[in-house]
Amino acid sequence: MRKKTYQLPLCCCRCNVGIPIADCIQIRLVIYNPKCIYYKYFWAVCLAIVLPEKGRMGNVVRRRTRGALRCSSFEVCGNMAGLELLSDQGYRLDGRKATELRKVQARMGVFAQADGSAYLEQGNTKALAVVYGPHEMRGSRSRTRHDRAVINCQYSMATFSTAERKRRPHGDRKSTEMSLHLKQTFEAAVMTQLYPRSQIDIYVKILQSDGGNYSVCVNAATLAVIDAGIPMRDYVCACTVGFVDETPLADLCYAEESGGVSSLALALLPRGGQIALLQMDARLHQDHLEALIEAAMTACKGVSKVLDEVVRQHLEEVSVLSGE
Amino acid sequence: MIKTERILHLKSCRGRKVRVVREHYLRERVPCYSSLCQGDCENDGKVLPGDLTHYVVPDVGVVVDYLEILEFRELQGIVFTQTACQAVQHSKGRRQHNRLRTLLNDPRHDCVLFANEFQEYSYCPREKGESQDKWQTRCVYSAAVWYHNHLAGMMDIVMITEDQDAIAEYSSLNSGVYVISIQDFLQEFWPRLQAAHELYSSISQALQEKESEGSQKEFAEHLAAEVLEAGIKSGRYIKGTLNISKHRPQNEASIMTDGLSNKDADMSRGVLVLGIKNRNRAVHGDVVVVELLPKSEWKGKVTALAGGQVDEKSGEENESKPMPTGRVVGIQQRNWRDYVVTFPPRDGTQSQSRNSQRILAVPWDRRIPKIRISTQQADALQDHRVVVRIDSWESTSLYPNGHSVRVLGRAGELETEVQTILIENCIHVPPFSDAQLREMPVNSPENPWRMDPAQVAERRDLRESHLVFSIDPRGCEDVDDTLSVRSLAGGELLELGVHIADVTHFVKEGSLTNLEARTRATTYYLADRRYDMLPAVLSGDLCSLLGGVDRYAMSVIWELDANTLNVKSMWYGRTVIRSSYQLHYELAQALLNGEQAEVPELAKLGPEEKDAKLAQLTQALEMLTHIARQLRAQRDRGGALELEGVEVRAQLDEERNITALVPRQPLEVHETVAECMIYANHWVARKIQETFPHQALLRRHPPPRQDFFRELVDSATAAGFTIDTGTNKALAESLDRAVDPQDPLVNRVLRMMATTAMSQALYFCTGLESQDQYYHYGLALDRYTHFTSPIRRYADIVVHRLLTAAIDVDRGVDPCKALVGYKELEETAYHINSRNVAAQHAQKLSTVLFQCLYFKERDPQTDPRCVADAVIYSIRDNGMLVFVPEYGVKGPVYVKDREGLVVAVGQDGSCEWQSGSVRQYPDHITTTSACGTATFRLFDHITVRISVHSSSCHPDSLKLEVISNKRHCSGEPQQPRSQGRSQLVQEVVRLAEEAYQQAQVVAARRPKLSREEREFSQSKTPNLYSLLEEVRELALMDLEMAAQM
Repeated sequence: MRKKTYQLPLCCCRCNVGIPIADCIQIRLVIYNPKCIYYKYFWAVCLAIVLPEKGRMGNVVRRRTRGALRCSSFEVCGNMAGLELLSDQGYRLDGRKATELRKVQARMGVFAQADGSAYLEQGNTKALAVVYGPHEMRGSRSRTRHDRAVINCQYSMATFSTAERKRRPHGDRKSTEMSLHLKQTFEAAVMTQLYPRSQIDIYVKILQSDGGNYSVCVNAATLAVIDAGIPMRDYVCACTVGFVDETPLADLCYAEESGGVSSLALALLPRGGQIALLQMDARLHQDHLEALIEAAMTACKGVSKVLDEVVRQHLEEVSVLSGE
Repeated sequence: MIKTERILHLKSCRGRKVRVVREHYLRERVPCYSSLCQGDCENDGKVLPGDLTHYVVPDVGVVVDYLEILEFRELQGIVFTQTACQAVQHSKGRRQHNRLRTLLNDPRHDCVLFANEFQEYSYCPREKGESQDKWQTRCVYSAAVWYHNHLAGMMDIVMITEDQDAIAEYSSLNSGVYVISIQDFLQEFWPRLQAAHELYSSISQALQEKESEGSQKEFAEHLAAEVLEAGIKSGRYIKGTLNISKHRPQNEASIMTDGLSNKDADMSRGVLVLGIKNRNRAVHGDVVVVELLPKSEWKGKVTALAGGQVDEKSGEENESKPMPTGRVVGIQQRNWRDYVVTFPPRDGTQSQSRNSQRILAVPWDRRIPKIRISTQQADALQDHRVVVRIDSWESTSLYPNGHSVRVLGRAGELETEVQTILIENCIHVPPFSDAQLREMPVNSPENPWRMDPAQVAERRDLRESHLVFSIDPRGCEDVDDTLSVRSLAGGELLELGVHIADVTHFVKEGSLTNLEARTRATTYYLADRRYDMLPAVLSGDLCSLLGGVDRYAMSVIWELDANTLNVKSMWYGRTVIRSSYQLHYELAQALLNGEQAEVPELAKLGPEEKDAKLAQLTQALEMLTHIARQLRAQRDRGGALELEGVEVRAQLDEERNITALVPRQPLEVHETVAECMIYANHWVARKIQETFPHQALLRRHPPPRQDFFRELVDSATAAGFTIDTGTNKALAESLDRAVDPQDPLVNRVLRMMATTAMSQALYFCTGLESQDQYYHYGLALDRYTHFTSPIRRYADIVVHRLLTAAIDVDRGVDPCKALVGYKELEETAYHINSRNVAAQHAQKLSTVLFQCLYFKERDPQTDPRCVADAVIYSIRDNGMLVFVPEYGVKGPVYVKDREGLVVAVGQDGSCEWQSGSVRQYPDHITTTSACGTATFRLFDHITVRISVHSSSCHPDSLKLEVISNKRHCSGEPQQPRSQGRSQLVQEVVRLAEEAYQQAQVVAARRPKLSREEREFSQSKTPNLYSLLEEVRELALMDLEMAAQM
């Protein structure tokens, strides 16, 4: 993530009416005055915010990677689509309760050619992760670290992964950023000091996207790293949580993510309870942050149990195959 | 849980169709909310009783179209399906959906929501090629079958649907699950619920009508929601609430934009919408989106007086300077409520519609367009007032379509008119239900209520140590505040205590009583009756701090420095008190003045003891007065406003009601009590705001907008005074200076005009406003809340809970979930604010109603009471606005009528209509006619004749007519004005006593009403007079409470 401000002629793609720059606040990756009742914590992707009316509605003008600017709006705690994300009975859109995770299914060792591989489904989000290494540095040798291994991550999305065909599977700003996040996550978990002057490649591909892409990638990559036999401090488990009607919702699906929920992604090393990565790009009252992180950690621990089971089952299968 | 997938076809934001796959999780355990449940479901919250004959499962179509029928409380055991709820949300929008949700959350209604789509066995996936309606019906049916099986066949399930195919298909499929139509259902199970039958036929007729609409466009289509949204964002369109002018409902309407959009000065005055076409089917109160017209088409508001008569020929009237003018392009939110309409008498005009069953009913509120209703009872309902709801307004129709809900009664009858006022203000006050009354503690002679020893141990006991007394209006039943004062430490310290009835001890959060109190939000005072917020056993007995009995209280006790009155220490907490004296204002004042007065509590004591006690009480009162004076002086230095004496100052936030100008003897003790209450409110506000900076309920009074003062400043300049409206302090001082020694009324009128310029004080939740917004302009306090009247205001109950929680926090106890979130608190504040406005409005309307009834009985030509003195306070194009101090009436007086005749003044000052012309100047208006020129100046006294302008469909209004430009000489002895103040007060007091005795005799409210009605229909003058007097007297009583602002 680069700290950079953009100055563009802002213009809504729907009505083509220009928005004067004076009405916009430039956004960088900055935490505005933490004493303010709302955390104003935005990404670099967010370009500008139109001055909120009455301080409660903010309009985020978001730039797409290509094409015109798009205008979208969100309410601080509500949702824009008018969908009831959490019913009075406590059901979510897809019938889950607030703390329930989506169904997780996984397989390890799906490819023989790679050193490690895994396939993971979390609800309708499906990801494939492949690990090569540790091997000696390829490409520019200058990146070599004499005390530890370098982790190289690449995140991509299949062109068929979304409802509308995606034109550019990787290399856009979003994917680059995601790759960076994955790299940071795994540098915190893999015991890189055991392999000095070498490189570990992690490739993750989203086959079908339905929300929580980052966390599914982390979970799949964890299995792949374990499959490759690379020592890690612990499983890295990730989960997104959102905040609706004073309740944290675990493991958001796409409909919820796009419904204007303030969501938080958290990658956890569950045994020690260390946080490998925490990322949030929405406004949230600071009083609620604690509860949200707490919910995210519980959800991550749930994921870790599932992953552990998958690993054990895989080991059993493998040992049966090898005749032990 | 089982995971399935659900395929939806949605439209993307660009209008393309997208296939979306969503997960759908099913589970075996979905709570059924029935007390017959065999599978121990987790049924928390509302549970359907098991002793019914059947449960009702309404089909989607029924829920969407006939929800109103299902809202009858008589219908029990209704199971709404999730499918139906979602359908309501999709097809009817958020408003209808919220209505359904409130219904489901309301414990008084016997209905539950079953999440059928998440239940493994009741969910049925949509099949290929199946239409949405079929699928939804199948879902509902399968839910009904599931219920039957889940309850092991112990309960019959009735599914009601309007779909005849479904009845044919499903009715014989399963025994125990019956599928019938609504009509059959109502006839079979509720043959006696006449109202439901009528509602059903009226809705179904309205639905049929809708199908057979014509196709000729009368209005432009509204734009799509996305376009509006985008347009508002970009500043091309303006969003706001449509406010139709009361005086020119046919033509003039304006949009009040909220918030920051008034960047340029033009917009700050709102946007004008002229004409029905430009209004484009928006109804008063709707949130609309307007597009500005080009500047060349901008127009101004018509400044001439139009009065209530609707049929004016517009065109040549003068206009104010052009304002932004626009047209409505879309409606974001309909704010339709129940409207009261009158069915017009049958004559030739109605039969022009091709279907004779369709009637154009005229709403009571002039701002609402006529509503087309199809009914078969048109003849029976002639001249009746009927509650209707608007269903739709298509672009092909000139009038909205609606259906009738309930008949109120014949127009013109007192009961009908009062009900009309209630409904027009959305005030719903059913009698307290049995379930609510069952929650109440019992206090009867056989079974007297006693205090709980555990509670007494927990509370601070002030029964022996403190001399507690209350000062209220005479005959007050609900005493919610008492006072105590004593000197401590040898006179170094003064201890002032304010003890408020501990309502929250009886009204627990989550109880039905609390729910009802929240819905009502306040006690409604009408001219002849009141609707209590709490059941009588609480408001008149157990909560009321009556004299000589032990009561729970919530106390605020200050220790003040005797000289400087600085606060040395504070104590808040729950206490037990026994009020020693229940004084009334006149008595307290008499004691203070050292007059001989009989204190009823001391009547039985011996003379020495009596003197000693009396001296003690008098000393306490004196101390209290001393403190209050000092506090008042402190606040005055800060810039507190005094607008028209105690009464009107109080009114500025409670009400802006003209009845307050009825003369009333201002006693110092009124102010003393009010001051103590303000002080208590202020300190409680400080306490809760400091403990809960984000979720305290406070009350703020925003500074008024400067342009509202223009009329005041203009009038004052004409009278030769300068008014500085810069700050509240400057305003208060300049108002104090603006006194005409010749005419005390001038100052009163100026203060009255300042009052109308004030903005409304509001409850709000801290944390949602920045701290500089907390200021209370009228009282000049940085923080203020309402704490002292929990018996008749819900806000005080909330504040009591907050204070209790704050005390708990101080003691280190975790405040048990008494704290509501800021979001909920904000909702509550909003609700209370809107109810308060409704209550004031209703009170005002009912006063006008009684005034009209008073004058209706009199012949304006002969009766001397119809002639009164009036003061001109504003000049318009064709007349002036006057104030009649005797009756507290404000209204327009014309000097030029529709035919162009003007008022000519004869030699002796008497006026007659002649042809001539009118000229308007800033401070006077002149008429020129054959008789010469007559001038009416601001603050001139004139004589007016009061008569009633009555219309069958709309509320009556008073009409003022100038008959002389001289001051009215009040010679006749029967004039209340000439009675003198003390006489009038005596009269009021006498009537208050009578009313009190009446209330004693007739305990229940209903019989009392009917009795009044009987008196009313006798139409004897003294009775009517006493009715009007009661209006005044009630207004006085309420003022006192209002005085606590």
